[in-house]
Amino acid sequence: MKRYDLIVVGAGPSGLSAAVEAAKRGMRVVVFDENEKPGGQLFKQIHKFFGSKEHKARIRGFRIGQQLLKEASDVGVTVILSATVIGMYQDKELVVRIGDEIHHVKGDSILIATGASENMVPFEGWTLPGVIGAGAAQTMINLHGILPGKRVLMLGTGNVGLVVSFQLLQCGCEMAALVDAAPKIGGYGVHASKLARTGVPFYLSHTIKKVEGTDHVTGVTIAQVDSKYQFIPGTEKHFDVDTVCVAVGLSPMSQLLKMAGCKMVDDPKKGGQVPVCDERGQTSIPGVFAAGDVAGIEEASSAMIEGRMAGVAAAEYLGFMEEAACSREEDELTKDLDCLRQGMFAPKNKGKKIDKTEEGIPLSNTLLTKGYLADDEVEAFPGFTHRVGVHPVIECTQNIPCNPCQDVCPKECISIGDNLTALPVVVENAACIDCGMCVASCSGQAIFLVDEDKGDGTAEVTIPYEFLPLPEKGTEGYALGRDGRKLCPATVSRVRTAKAFDSTNLLSMRVPREFAMKARFFKSGNAADAAGEVAG
Amino acid sequence: MNQVNDRSRDIGEFVPRPDDDMVICRCEEVTKGEIRKAVHEGMWTVTEVRRYLRTGMGLCQGQTCGKLVKGIIASELGIPQSELEPATSRVPMRPIEMKVFAKEAKEADGNG
Ligand SMILES: Cc1cc2nc3c(=O)[nH]c(=O)nc-3n(C[C@H](O)[C@H](O)[C@H](O)COP(=O)(O)OP(=O)(O)OC[C@H]3O[C@@H](n4cnc5c(N)ncnc54)[C@H](O)[C@@H]3O)c2cc1C
Ligand code: SF4
Ligand code: SF4
Repeated sequence: MKRYDLIVVGAGPSGLSAAVEAAKRGMRVVVFDENEKPGGQLFKQIHKFFGSKEHKARIRGFRIGQQLLKEASDVGVTVILSATVIGMYQDKELVVRIGDEIHHVKGDSILIATGASENMVPFEGWTLPGVIGAGAAQTMINLHGILPGKRVLMLGTGNVGLVVSFQLLQCGCEMAALVDAAPKIGGYGVHASKLARTGVPFYLSHTIKKVEGTDHVTGVTIAQVDSKYQFIPGTEKHFDVDTVCVAVGLSPMSQLLKMAGCKMVDDPKKGGQVPVCDERGQTSIPGVFAAGDVAGIEEASSAMIEGRMAGVAAAEYLGFMEEAACSREEDELTKDLDCLRQGMFAPKNKGKKIDKTEEGIPLSNTLLTKGYLADDEVEAFPGFTHRVGVHPVIECTQNIPCNPCQDVCPKECISIGDNLTALPVVVENAACIDCGMCVASCSGQAIFLVDEDKGDGTAEVTIPYEFLPLPEKGTEGYALGRDGRKLCPATVSRVRTAKAFDSTNLLSMRVPREFAMKARFFKSGNAADAAGEVAG
Repeated sequence: MNQVNDRSRDIGEFVPRPDDDMVICRCEEVTKGEIRKAVHEGMWTVTEVRRYLRTGMGLCQGQTCGKLVKGIIASELGIPQSELEPATSRVPMRPIEMKVFAKEAKEADGNG
């Protein structure tokens, strides 16, 4: 039987990070993954990540995956793909299917980093072709280049539902609506706002009553629910769609740990059945570790740190590292992890009612129920200021662990301070040079550059733009407000692309002055229609 | 005593509901009504229902329906879901053809 110092199951962010740490310390490491491609969830994630520099913030997920893979191969980690681990025994023996053969391998230590699977909710018609998981939709569009459908309704407004909806829009799908039975949007407000400003409606306290169709989805009916999640008669709304995406949470895929005899616990805050682990990720079986989503649903950023912690702990467990050195490293990593686990969306705050920011500013209710900041709510936030000349306007209003905006500004116009979750503040008297780095680097696409008075009755608003085709300078169209409604005629005045912007384009538009602080998206088309709508 | 173990408890008669024909376990085509009925026929745990109806024993191995089945059993018994043990996990955790399962690779190195 083949033997390794460390066997890792799952080549996602946590598994690869652990493998790198262990191999760096001289361990013989193998990673098995049942997919044809390594990287786990990361390879589907084309959006920029939150966090700080240490957490690889503002880098797109798939690029983080590429970096991890390179690091792993540099330190001599063997990654075996299309290798499904189908069993695990208490004595650290694994049964792996590779091709049409069964292999038995033994690890002196083992890390289970198998991630999670998607939850489903049953409703009438949920087995019809066209009802799919949001993760499946993301795999189709981002890995295989296949559109799941043309017109989509998304059930679930957590970050997965929000991110995948935006990516479906980017692929040219029409998003009919986002629906959630909860009374509040579950994911980051900045992600919701990206959708709302393009005109996608949100229906909170609503859920799917019925999906229609005989051999595929042709429509869906939703209805409002009361506080006990019972349908309220007469509130039905119908949408013609060909696809319904379900994003109602993930469950840890912890079966291997359970069958090996690890002590398990049912923890709803962690998404279901998870192993009982110590702070370094060791399960009740010495030498068997768990990291990433399998140990509790979180994020790729935290999965990477947990993976590194488990890799270091495995090295110490097998004597590849002194206990003192290990403790020092674990302390550093713990600090990093704690840093990420702060803010309104932190695991410890799940289910808690929060109605003010850390700074004491009332949270926007419109943001939580409709996905956008109402014009009168946005004024209260420290990123929203009026200035002469070009200046950044930051519409990031919830305490999330993120700070690339502060990091990239060469003129120190934006400040978050040492507390990663503090709201970004536009620094008084700092001179913005209109370089656009903040707009392009904001993972939440929540920063705009505004010149409120160009002297000719117009204002210039610069927005992040990640759609194709890219409008050219001079394109006529209309501006949309935060709520996605047509506001006023607009003309594209500049389009900027740069390597440093990493595929986020900067689109500047001229709008009548009075719309400077309201116009937040651009669509080409007949401006007269827009004017008509505003007048009417 | 755990409410699942106390089999003398009266959980009432099976009452048909409009959504009884909704499929819950898609791989084995088991409906909500069948699961609810099974509870009234004495299957009070996820494992018992699984052996009785084959829920979660198909291609996806309960990945999709596991939580749903557990929820239905719990609500039929009138207990919180956390009182029910989830299904047991066993080798092989992914469906596998017998011809593959029986084909052990000959390892060149190592001491096995
Ligand atoms: C749509 C979406 C958007 C997200 N956006 C963000 C974001 O912006 N920022 C962020 O930080 N996080 C984000 N996340 C979360 C993040 O992707 C996950 O938390 C992270 O990928 C978890 O990493 P992991 O290593 O635990 O598992 P995964 O990345 O899920 O990797 C697990 C790997 O294990 C393999 N595997 C499983 N079982 C077996 C087996 N039996 N045998 C062999 N191999 C197996 C799988 O093939 C997979 O490759 C997002 C998630 C989703 C779904
Ligand atoms: S445009 Fe450049 S200078 Fe101005 S705030 Fe943004 S990053 Fe700073
Ligand atoms: S404004 Fe700053 S803190 Fe907010 S999402 Fe953008 S980069 Fe992150």
